[in-house]
Amino acid sequence: MKIFGLQRRTLALFAVILALLLLFIYVALRAGPLAPIAVTTTQVELRSLAPSLFGIGTVEAGYTYKIGPTHTSRLKQINVQVGDLVTAGQVLGEMDNVDLADKLVAQQAATRRAEALVEQAEATQKFAQAQVERYESLLASKNTSAESVALKRQELALAKATLKAATADIDRLAAEFSALLNQKENLQLKAPAAGLVVARNSELGSTVVAGQAVVELIDPASLWVHVRFDQVNARGLAANLPASITLRSQQGVSLLGKVLRVEPLADAVTEEVLAKVIFNEALQPLPPLGELAEVTVQLLSLPVTAVIPNAAIRVNKGQRGVWKLTQDQLVFIPLLLGRADLDGYVQVKEGLNLGDEIVLYSEKALTAKSRLQITKSLVGKEQ
Amino acid sequence: MSIQGIQIENLSKRFGEGDTAVFALKDVNMQVAPGEVVGLIGPSGSGKSTLLKCLGAVIDPTAGRMVLDQQVIYDEGWKVGDLSALRRDKIGFVFQSPYLIPFLDATDNVALLPMLAGVPNEEARRRALELLTALDVQHRAKAMPSQLSGGEQQRIAIARGLVNQPPVILADEPTAPLDSVRALAVVRILNDMAKRFNTAVIVVTHDEKIIPTFKRIYHIRDGVTHEEVGEGRLPT
Amino acid sequence: MISLAGRDILHAWGKFIFTGVGLGLLIGVTLIMAGVYRGMVDDGKVLLDNSGADLWVVQQATLGPYAEPSSVPDDIWRSLLTQPGVAEAANITYLTMQIERGEDDVRAMVVGIAPGGAGTLGWPRYLVAGRQITRGHYEAVADLASGFQLGDYLTIRRNQYKVVGLTRRMVSASGDPMIFIPLKGAQEAQFLKDKDAILMQRRRTEANPALNRPNLPGLLEAVLASQTTNPSVNAVLVRIKPEYLPQAVAEPIERWQRFTVYDREQMEGILIGKLIATSARQISMFLVILAIVCAAIVAFIIYTLTMDKIREIAVLKLIGTRNRTLVWMILQQALVLGAIGFVVGKITATFAAPIFPKYVLLLPIDSIIGFVAIQLICTLASVVAIRMALKVDPAEVIG
Repeated sequence: MKIFGLQRRTLALFAVILALLLLFIYVALRAGPLAPIAVTTTQVELRSLAPSLFGIGTVEAGYTYKIGPTHTSRLKQINVQVGDLVTAGQVLGEMDNVDLADKLVAQQAATRRAEALVEQAEATQKFAQAQVERYESLLASKNTSAESVALKRQELALAKATLKAATADIDRLAAEFSALLNQKENLQLKAPAAGLVVARNSELGSTVVAGQAVVELIDPASLWVHVRFDQVNARGLAANLPASITLRSQQGVSLLGKVLRVEPLADAVTEEVLAKVIFNEALQPLPPLGELAEVTVQLLSLPVTAVIPNAAIRVNKGQRGVWKLTQDQLVFIPLLLGRADLDGYVQVKEGLNLGDEIVLYSEKALTAKSRLQITKSLVGKEQ
Repeated sequence: MSIQGIQIENLSKRFGEGDTAVFALKDVNMQVAPGEVVGLIGPSGSGKSTLLKCLGAVIDPTAGRMVLDQQVIYDEGWKVGDLSALRRDKIGFVFQSPYLIPFLDATDNVALLPMLAGVPNEEARRRALELLTALDVQHRAKAMPSQLSGGEQQRIAIARGLVNQPPVILADEPTAPLDSVRALAVVRILNDMAKRFNTAVIVVTHDEKIIPTFKRIYHIRDGVTHEEVGEGRLPT
Repeated sequence: MISLAGRDILHAWGKFIFTGVGLGLLIGVTLIMAGVYRGMVDDGKVLLDNSGADLWVVQQATLGPYAEPSSVPDDIWRSLLTQPGVAEAANITYLTMQIERGEDDVRAMVVGIAPGGAGTLGWPRYLVAGRQITRGHYEAVADLASGFQLGDYLTIRRNQYKVVGLTRRMVSASGDPMIFIPLKGAQEAQFLKDKDAILMQRRRTEANPALNRPNLPGLLEAVLASQTTNPSVNAVLVRIKPEYLPQAVAEPIERWQRFTVYDREQMEGILIGKLIATSARQISMFLVILAIVCAAIVAFIIYTLTMDKIREIAVLKLIGTRNRTLVWMILQQALVLGAIGFVVGKITATFAAPIFPKYVLLLPIDSIIGFVAIQLICTLASVVAIRMALKVDPAEVIG
């Protein structure tokens, strides 16, 4: 029995040592740099991509009216508040052109003076006419010289011209008077179209230079989102494509809309393409202008082609491609890629065939010599 | 000069120098022939242990001469070079306690000595087993020392002392922990083995039970030995 | 001859194994320490690897973008593309910040990546779940270490980003997980002022008569708009054509475009030589201390084991065992103890490594060095015990 005791002890020792060694070998090979790299794979599939574009924009009004005086003047009266709805032609306010009334009186006086001048010219002309007729009959009876007759004729011509000038002056003054009247009329600030008052920039008594807006109006029906899309992704953006709009203040609510137009001018500084997206239905209440909005534009579906997830794309020696598995051999295949959609699928134009098995996720960067361990998932419960 | 067994002449051992010098042994003479078992008896502090250490080539004597199996070990300050090989090959030790190596089994405890001398393991074990058989403990050959009784352990220790067939065996109180029956049994074994292997055996003891068994006894007191004839009664 | 050491170990194997396991735990800590250092170096290297760049173009005379702040205009990448040898250039921003995750927050490095799809310089090189960013705004790829999961929303400055992909081992040089977001958002996060600051600046500008002229409508708006642009990035990553040498491409950029350019080697030098230099020294101090502690413990253990056998050693000496046989026996035991300790330590370290918050990289070469070092330490440590064994007087057994 004691002999067995020795053997049992020896056996136990060897068992412990063996267990330690096995564990050691497992540890050396299964952990650290020598361990195989866990990967998941996927297959090249056929799929029609429905790419969409994602952009950020601000809510803007399509038509903004900035109403202000045509001459520098003082604000005499203002009738509207921000938020008021106004109709076309409604008087929004009035400017006070301080010296306009005096100018009108002066203009009337000037007209009267001009009329007096016309009368004077007519009198001069009548007298000159009579003189010419008298001297012509004297010349016919050879009682005066031809020179005297010529003198009288010149006097007549001068008198005619003076009358013409005086008459024209009356017209000029009449027109100027009318202009002043018009200007008086224009001191009223009128709405050019129905709309919503969004800004009231000046208050009573302020002096406003010509062209400065006193009141700003927008057309609530013309609300749109001014959207910016990255140029690299903006292929296929066109008018009338459907879009969904999410306002920053209404996360989770997406509003329907469509692309009104793609701006002919892109932003060269931010490298973005600009577009206007309108809402399908008028919004009640109106969102504040300038609010940030996320816009996703649904592009036309593409024909069915081979696609891969973009997570499979790797770079090896400067080339984009995927790691393909053929009979447990890992080969890097450079790819020619096509369009992509927002769900992360990319068209493969060249390099892979339908059903090819490629590495999707990996724990580490791969090389052709990597030992692989293919698993279902690399992250806990994720599929 | 052909001296079999062991012989010492005028062996002295001094501890310390000058005024504080103490002589543990003074001109000790002793001779034990092959096949002979002698007793070495003395009270504590008599120099018994010092003499044994000198005989065992563990400490060096200050003066005197010692010849072991025709080989001069010490001669007035001169000594043999490799004492550990000498101990291994020429001297067998049996101690008061068996002092077996606890991590070796009975066989290997015995076989270790020939192994140390370069004998192949198989041969060494064969020799050990032979001795164990001779000492009637062959049935415990694979047991570890902790599994053996005191008598068995002592027998294994004797086997160890004998295994290299040394010309001399030094036994230091080999019977102290044993009852009289077993003590006498050990003495008998020592006598048998002395005859069988033609070995000189020196038994250091103050065990009254076994003193009558010696034919020749050296008494030691204050570092000086007196030889006397013993009773030589070995019970059968 | 039988192996005395082997027999002794076999005889007292329980004690031996337990002592070895105890020593092994200590060795495990030592290996992990080395692993922590390797992990820090590796953090730096993966940071560089993940960028995929051959050259880093940064603000002149800075150690950017990782070790120092750097700011370069965000349009120079185009002019860099015209340089000979440049195959690809892409803007990048790095910003380390606290990001809210549920109740608490997590320290992360927000990386702004230039548009261009998977494979562009600076983009995550591989994922473990989800997909790469497809939208130009408000999408993020986060590292697993950040604790975010697919579908989570994270807030960076004013904006919310949805986590669409997960990476692994994409960390900054200090081990913070990376969060990749589109460049524009990242630029805003880094350079955009907070709302109050913008408001105050607007007020100041409006109060400035030189900028707010009544007879020049529109001037104020233009001035305000120009104040809120952020045309900067931290660096431009450059990939060079294979036939060019990095220095040959870098030299004209440094000389004519007045930027500082680092190649991969210099960047590693900056990250490992400067950024983590103090930490590395700290760890090497720990390694030295642990090695000393290890040596002391092995010495103590071997000493105790020899102490326990002092009588046997005396007997062995008395019956003629040579000293070198005894030395070899003690040395063998020390070496075996070291081997058990090493195996246990390696196993412990491997299983403990993933629990650490920062990356612990256990390299095979470190294990080999560790093994050799442990055996050396054990040999040295057994010297004390050997000296003692040699001093044992065989005479002690007698009398």
